Amino acid sequence: MRRRAVTLSNLPALMGLAFAAACSPGTEGAGSGDGTLEGRITITGSSTVAPLMGEVARRFEAEHPGVRVDVQTGGTSRGIADVRRRVAQIGMISRGLRPEEEDLDAVAVALDGITLIVHRDNHVATLSHDQVVDIFTGRVRRWDTVGGREAEITVVSKADGRATLELFLDHFGLRRDEIHPSLVIGDNQHGIRSVAGDPAAIAYVSIGTAAFESSQGRAIRMLPLDGVEPTLAAVQSGEFPASRPLNLVTFGDRSPPVQAFLSFAASERVQDLVEAQYFVPAPR
Amino acid sequence: MRDAPAPAVPSLPRGGTDWADRAVTAAVWSVALLFTGVFLWIVGDLVRHGLPHLSWGFLTDAPMDAGRAGGIAPILVSTFLIVGVCLAVSLPLGVGTAVFLAEFSRGESLPARLVRGSLDVLAGVPSIVFGLFGNALFSLYLGMGFSILSGGLTLACMVLPILIRSTEEGLRAVPDDYRKAAAALGLSRTATLWRILLPAATPGLVVGLVLGIGRALSETAALLFTSGYVARMPGSLLDSGRSLTVHIYDLAMNVPGGEANAYATAVVLVTLLLVINMLTFQIADRWLHRRITRT
Repeated sequence: MRRRAVTLSNLPALMGLAFAAACSPGTEGAGSGDGTLEGRITITGSSTVAPLMGEVARRFEAEHPGVRVDVQTGGTSRGIADVRRRVAQIGMISRGLRPEEEDLDAVAVALDGITLIVHRDNHVATLSHDQVVDIFTGRVRRWDTVGGREAEITVVSKADGRATLELFLDHFGLRRDEIHPSLVIGDNQHGIRSVAGDPAAIAYVSIGTAAFESSQGRAIRMLPLDGVEPTLAAVQSGEFPASRPLNLVTFGDRSPPVQAFLSFAASERVQDLVEAQYFVPAPR
Repeated sequence: MRDAPAPAVPSLPRGGTDWADRAVTAAVWSVALLFTGVFLWIVGDLVRHGLPHLSWGFLTDAPMDAGRAGGIAPILVSTFLIVGVCLAVSLPLGVGTAVFLAEFSRGESLPARLVRGSLDVLAGVPSIVFGLFGNALFSLYLGMGFSILSGGLTLACMVLPILIRSTEEGLRAVPDDYRKAAAALGLSRTATLWRILLPAATPGLVVGLVLGIGRALSETAALLFTSGYVARMPGSLLDSGRSLTVHIYDLAMNVPGGEANAYATAVVLVTLLLVINMLTFQIADRWLHRRITRT
């Protein structure tokens, strides 16, 4: 009994040792003598960008076996907070930098646009700028008012903190508290499901996601925005009005592996990955 | 006495009871059928959508193209490691606390009330709060970062109340005669605990364990913030690792076209839960048997 007690009391110390040993490779990267990169990069932020960065990171690791890139998620605001607290070396944000975020440096990796979607069986061909504003602010509550069938409109909006919400508000010149949604959703997929399951719903989601899902036979239809057809080409040419850059941000000095990763993620070598995630490559 | 006629049943008010009885029977049956129906619907839906994408390769390959292609091997390994860490920490702590509550403290003493009160509060805390706590304590304050270790420890905090409560119930269900007999035979307190009380309380412990593993395996919110999102094969407990539930969440909500593999992963997760439940009960049965025949 006595011996057992002694071993147990040593356990925390042993765990601590194991811990220190495992931690020793270090979380910040540095270049070793022969020019190969080593270290670990943590990336956090927008859940829209995370799947893309996961793929980019895998390809980067294949080229630089000494570097580990960990991609976490949690939203744009989290990405910014984590970079500032130095919990992460790179943050992912699915919008441009704001004036109060000038302490950060951004690199654009791709573009994404938001588009309005309705159910496939909804016959409304297009909505004017003002009609969209009226619908989302609750001044228009029925589809028959804007030329559709007789049904109450289900307004689907995004939760606070989502970059798509901010982009939507920005484009239509609305304030957050002016929107009266019937349903508040989180991710793009969630929005698409809600609309596909409700013939009277209208929502705004990422254009790449919507294009993919409707090509897969999902019961949704994209509406033109201010008369511009929602196509990936229109986003890249800058013609599409509501598009957003997907950025990687850093705070302060960049270590060599971080610098290398940023240049890699913004280069043509990952263009196929960007397209595979239904985004539009950033203009170079 | 045994041959005496049964005492007269006080006569029930007649009339109306018949159809009321029938209505209750019908209601109970339809509720039971409804429940079974929901269960079958869920499983049927999972199997219908998920089974066509399942293969041996799905279990042994790494995910490709953000999880749309490839398999879930690193995610399975991470999940096992997270649950392993969780159990390695929560089992000794949980059994220890339960023994303290049931055997070493009188019901209404201050420490016992304190422990029990904290457990009741902890049991009602939503998992997302555990996630925030785990992120703040393990990931940031203790510097473990996004890692399997912080995920497992966070889950351990979450699972402890269930484990302690059911182990304690198991210990309390052991008749006092056992303790008195052991004391009369001059067995030490440790020997009584180890040889008699704990084996006899195994059913309670197993129920707690199964519920705990179930909760740990199905947790998503707490793990997003602690063990993280990295879908690479973990090299150590300090690596970030994505759990099966986080993978399903990401594929279903975040990755266009990830639904098929989300379903397939869900089938794997549900199968895993069933297998673990059955194995736990079987192992406990065998252990209990051996333990009692030997003593």
